[in-house]
Amino acid sequence: MKLIPRSNHPTHLSRVTDFDDWFRNPFAALPSFGRFFELPGYFTGAASLRLAADIHEDNEHYYARFEVPGVKKEDVKVELNNNILTVCADRKEKTAESESSYTLSRSVSVPEGVNGETISAKLEDGVLTVTLPKAEHRKPRTIQVG
Amino acid sequence: MNTCCIPNDTRVEAPAETPAIKPRYFVDGTQDAYEVRVEVPGVAKDGISVDLDQNILTVRAKRKASVPEGWKTLHRELNDLDYLLRLKLNSQVDESKLTATLENGVLSLCLPVREAAKPRRVEVR
Repeated sequence: MKLIPRSNHPTHLSRVTDFDDWFRNPFAALPSFGRFFELPGYFTGAASLRLAADIHEDNEHYYARFEVPGVKKEDVKVELNNNILTVCADRKEKTAESESSYTLSRSVSVPEGVNGETISAKLEDGVLTVTLPKAEHRKPRTIQVG
Repeated sequence: MNTCCIPNDTRVEAPAETPAIKPRYFVDGTQDAYEVRVEVPGVAKDGISVDLDQNILTVRAKRKASVPEGWKTLHRELNDLDYLLRLKLNSQVDESKLTATLENGVLSLCLPVREAAKPRRVEVR
């Protein structure tokens, strides 16, 4: 588990990040979706603009959950590249007068030893859950005392 | 056709335990209907209530960001939330025709404007 240098990421938009946040959460190496909207001029007015992420694990899997309201299944792209899991979501907004679309993305660093072949993702109520199976050697082992 | 927010509404109504958060929303109005879309990611259908009282539309949504048993949390940003949105409608809407659908974490409301409230064009003879 390591920090991803922020400058390597194409969606490096916000100039300021919460420094404490960055240290506390190894997975929060990138600014949360919400920060993109804190830029002046972007959707001001509503209090909750966060498109956040969660990371969990159990013995067999890692789980990453992403908040992607209003995004259809076919507009989500999940990619694992060099231990970095990237989720891109295309949002389309239609009103009577105009139509706009934009891409939101978030990357998280995943530990070594994830079986990349069998990653699965599920979209439910605007929350995307990505399931990353742990490779055999990563699973906890019980050693019998002989 | 406009809507406006009631100032400070979230603070007045917020219960003590979980603070109510105003969701991101869009309003699109035509002459015949209001279309309101409210972003409520992670909220199930039965966690939503929509009320219309005296031209004030209230949307409440409860999100349970529960973690299945056996999962160990490594990093957390999705929390239990109460969403609260109150909008004042400037036109009379037909309550009986109000429809609400939830899809992909977005609640879409359609509020048809009452016939009597629609603008009328008067022919000059």
